[in-house]
Amino acid sequence: MAWWRQDWIRRLVTSLAVVAVVELMTGPSGSFAAPTTGLIGSYNERVSVYGLFVGRRWMVFLVLALVFFGVWSAWLRWGPRTRASWRSTMATPREMAARRPVRWGFYLVLLVVAGFLPHLVNDPYWQSVLVEQIAVFVLLALGLNVVVGFAGLLDLGFVAFYAIGAYTTAWVTGALPTPAPFGIHLNPFWAIPVAIVFVMVAGILLGTPTLRLRGDYLAIVTLGFGEIITIFANNLYGITGGSYGSGGTSGSHPIPHFSISLGPIHYRWTLAPVPYYYLTLVFVVLFILGFSLLEHSRIGRAWTAIREDEVAAESVGINPLKYKVMAFAIGAASAGFAGVVTASQSNFIFPATFTLQLSINVLVLVIFGGMGSIPGVVAGAVVIQTVSMYLIHTPPAGFQESDLYMYIGALLIVTMIFRPAGLIPSRRRRREIILSEAGEAHADEVLTGDVA
Amino acid sequence: MGAFAHFLAGHFDTLRLEFWSLLVGGVANGFIYGMVAVGYTLVYGVLRLINFAHSEIFMTGGFASYFVLRAVMGTSVPSGWATFGVILVGIVVGGTAGALAATLLERVAYRTLRRRNAPKLAYLISAIGASYFLFNLAGKEFGRYNESMPQPYINHPVFTIFGAPVQLYYLVIVAAGAVMWLVLDRFVAATKLGRGIRAVAQDAETASLMGVNIDRTIAITFALGGALGGVGGFLFGLGSGVVYTMGFVPALKAFTAAVLGGIGNLRGAMIGGLILGVVESLSIAFVQAAYFDVVAFAILVLVLLVRPTGILGERLGRSA
Amino acid sequence: MSDLIFDVRNVTLRFGGVVSLNDVSLHQGRGEILAVIGPNGAGKTSLFNSLTGLYRPQEGTITFEGRNGVALSIIGKKAHRVSAAGVARTFQASRMFSALTTFENVKIGAESHRGIGVLGAMVRGPGTRRGEHESDQRTLELLSFVGLSAKANVISASLSYGDRRRLEIARGLATDPQVLLLDEPAAGTNPAEKIQLTELIRRVRDERGVSILLIEHDMKLVMSLAERLYVLNFGSVIAEGTPDEIRANPAVIEAYLGSSEQAEDRA
Repeated sequence: MAWWRQDWIRRLVTSLAVVAVVELMTGPSGSFAAPTTGLIGSYNERVSVYGLFVGRRWMVFLVLALVFFGVWSAWLRWGPRTRASWRSTMATPREMAARRPVRWGFYLVLLVVAGFLPHLVNDPYWQSVLVEQIAVFVLLALGLNVVVGFAGLLDLGFVAFYAIGAYTTAWVTGALPTPAPFGIHLNPFWAIPVAIVFVMVAGILLGTPTLRLRGDYLAIVTLGFGEIITIFANNLYGITGGSYGSGGTSGSHPIPHFSISLGPIHYRWTLAPVPYYYLTLVFVVLFILGFSLLEHSRIGRAWTAIREDEVAAESVGINPLKYKVMAFAIGAASAGFAGVVTASQSNFIFPATFTLQLSINVLVLVIFGGMGSIPGVVAGAVVIQTVSMYLIHTPPAGFQESDLYMYIGALLIVTMIFRPAGLIPSRRRRREIILSEAGEAHADEVLTGDVA
Repeated sequence: MGAFAHFLAGHFDTLRLEFWSLLVGGVANGFIYGMVAVGYTLVYGVLRLINFAHSEIFMTGGFASYFVLRAVMGTSVPSGWATFGVILVGIVVGGTAGALAATLLERVAYRTLRRRNAPKLAYLISAIGASYFLFNLAGKEFGRYNESMPQPYINHPVFTIFGAPVQLYYLVIVAAGAVMWLVLDRFVAATKLGRGIRAVAQDAETASLMGVNIDRTIAITFALGGALGGVGGFLFGLGSGVVYTMGFVPALKAFTAAVLGGIGNLRGAMIGGLILGVVESLSIAFVQAAYFDVVAFAILVLVLLVRPTGILGERLGRSA
Repeated sequence: MSDLIFDVRNVTLRFGGVVSLNDVSLHQGRGEILAVIGPNGAGKTSLFNSLTGLYRPQEGTITFEGRNGVALSIIGKKAHRVSAAGVARTFQASRMFSALTTFENVKIGAESHRGIGVLGAMVRGPGTRRGEHESDQRTLELLSFVGLSAKANVISASLSYGDRRRLEIARGLATDPQVLLLDEPAAGTNPAEKIQLTELIRRVRDERGVSILLIEHDMKLVMSLAERLYVLNFGSVIAEGTPDEIRANPAVIEAYLGSSEQAEDRA
């Protein structure tokens, strides 16, 4: 064997390359005028680690690469044994977690913690992040999980449903240039059912023609659909307010906050995030319950059957199109509700909120958390959104807000390579991946259209 | 009714007056779409997958040629043979950068998954991740604004067709596109490597039994498609400048072109590109500029719903 | 109610320029065990795919007479509609839902023809629960019928070839069919499993009254099981008759046995 083909050399080169890319990602930014600032600066810039170590970034990079190489080599040598012992130590807790009362007890504790969370974080930034960036994204991830995780359909235009939910809210509360239906300006509470019905209908209308397509075509068509919704929202000034959003034209007024007036109970939500947090939390719990019941119902089983082998599913009498459209519509529901919350809480909506980037962001939450696993996608959404918002709030040196998507892209690749079933895998999905890798199953083969 | 007829008549007037100039622009755009579409089609042929990160190969070609042109040209605009030389440099650099980027992409985002026999969904997601990573990295390193490409010539009309001026820029695109495509077509049809590609496209398992090195063939396929995509990026950048997100819309249209011509079919990709370029260009007479990009997408949806195998039908193996 | 369950007339199926089925006519009586044999590539699986709505032949008619004596034209119907009408099938290479358990696989078949209510599935009202309970009972009964009760909670991908066939048969029966189409059920099974399978197929017909249409390469199995056979070669029917008649038919010996000898020579 040629010397450069030896395994340890390959590992060393890969380690150096990986760390070099990380160095580039975390280094300073450049521009067309000064391209070397980023490219060379990432390696040549001075660094000081708490004054203990002063040097250049490439030195750090070299040390990191060697550590990476060392850990990798060690893992190859002792990994299987470590993994086996890890498995045996984890066996008891895992068994415990599999028991229903324990699991439900754990979820109850989580719920209580979630209930106290706004009081634990007093910082107003983090309180609004809880609503706008975490709770809303949990809703979106839950919805996309139905489509991608349960039904195995890659939807890259999921943001469209979020946008439709928000714009419907603006419309029925009279905040758009288009007059509200029948001239009645509804309380946003009534916008919830209207918006959910609207997005579900939109899901059916979009799904019925496109869900006949093979999976990779579907991905592109949904991507285009997401873009088109944005183009229309941006340009139909008379209807959506165009790029100015709902507050652009004179005579328009803000989308109102929620308010309740039931007998003796009167309550108005305001700009303060905490009351919105509790309202959203209630709905998150409802959606989680509904979706997990659905997962274990015959509809969930039918989705699994279609995902694994569409031809076989069809030949036992399952109508794939019907179930796929159903997944689209049901998944859209939570996104529609998220749209209502966003619209009502922020008072104004703008097309710039509803970008393709947001679709990809939600996709990452689902993939990283674990396709098809409800605890997984909730955990994924909480973890990723918290880290993202932390980075934006207190950016480390060299970090810009727009770099976030670079990390998100990298996270997608890394998850797919190292942990394709995600952080908290769904049992079915993990089995499918293992079986597919052993050449045993055809899960997600729909994507290739290679049927009998 | 009368008002509507009037409206239509007005638009057809525009179409009649502008027809030839719209056609010329459309053909030029079509060549770029076609070159990029070839990348989708080649990769689809051997892997039965759509390479979602092809847009970033296009972008890489554009960026690489931008920096090299900036370095070799200085401030003055070259003329005569120097112009020709600079364009050639741009093409070579764009193509090489595209091929390198595609090969690297195949190594990182595809081969690791292929080794593991991962489900198809995994490839799509990994490629989407790669795409997001690459263009945002470019944005970080070079800024998130549009920069115009150094011009190797002063663009001017060379001749006219029915009164419509044909710009030098368009001639460069058409000439480069036609030559590259012919070379590629011959390469796939007549060389040993090309036969390997067709064999893998037809039946990977049998091909590997017959002694075709699958890994190498797939890498070469990515490189070929990447080269054309990279040149497409350079030619596009010459007219529209370079920016980190430049790949998204042209690649979506190129994909449309590939589907239109029949994905997996090399000649189909070029024909699809031309048709899409022309139809899209002529549609300017009917739709507002803001909705320009919607036209290509509408065509995509229509083709997928009505004739998903495209005009010339699928399969790389059969095409050449 | 006529006594024909399948009536196939002059069916021609082409893929591009390739003729896969050429003017095929055949019929199957209610309660009959019928077999289709022929060399590889003779069009047997294409015939099955046409009968179950996966392929759409360009010419001819396929009439299926279901439960209540209503004749149904199969051509142009989607596969799930054909299944709902009472045609079940297994696949040449077993196609199970590999990541699900044996029980879940069969249950999917048992519940696929009930109406679906999203709200019902989420709220779990008494109706939904009753439906679930019925499907569970039916699944358990079928698993014991095919002899897989002990493996109900096993992931189906870990079943042996013989058990996978049983599972596919149970899943097909769960849809409450009139006829069961078996595509090479004995492929990949060992001699002992073959005997059990033969017995199981006969029991499906005798105890459940489901007609059987069978493609099989194992001549011993076919000859002992089938009451009547059709022989396909190059997409055309070249012979029809009882096992004894087929054994004596020179055209069959020429086309079929000749080619299978060649196949053995190659191997």
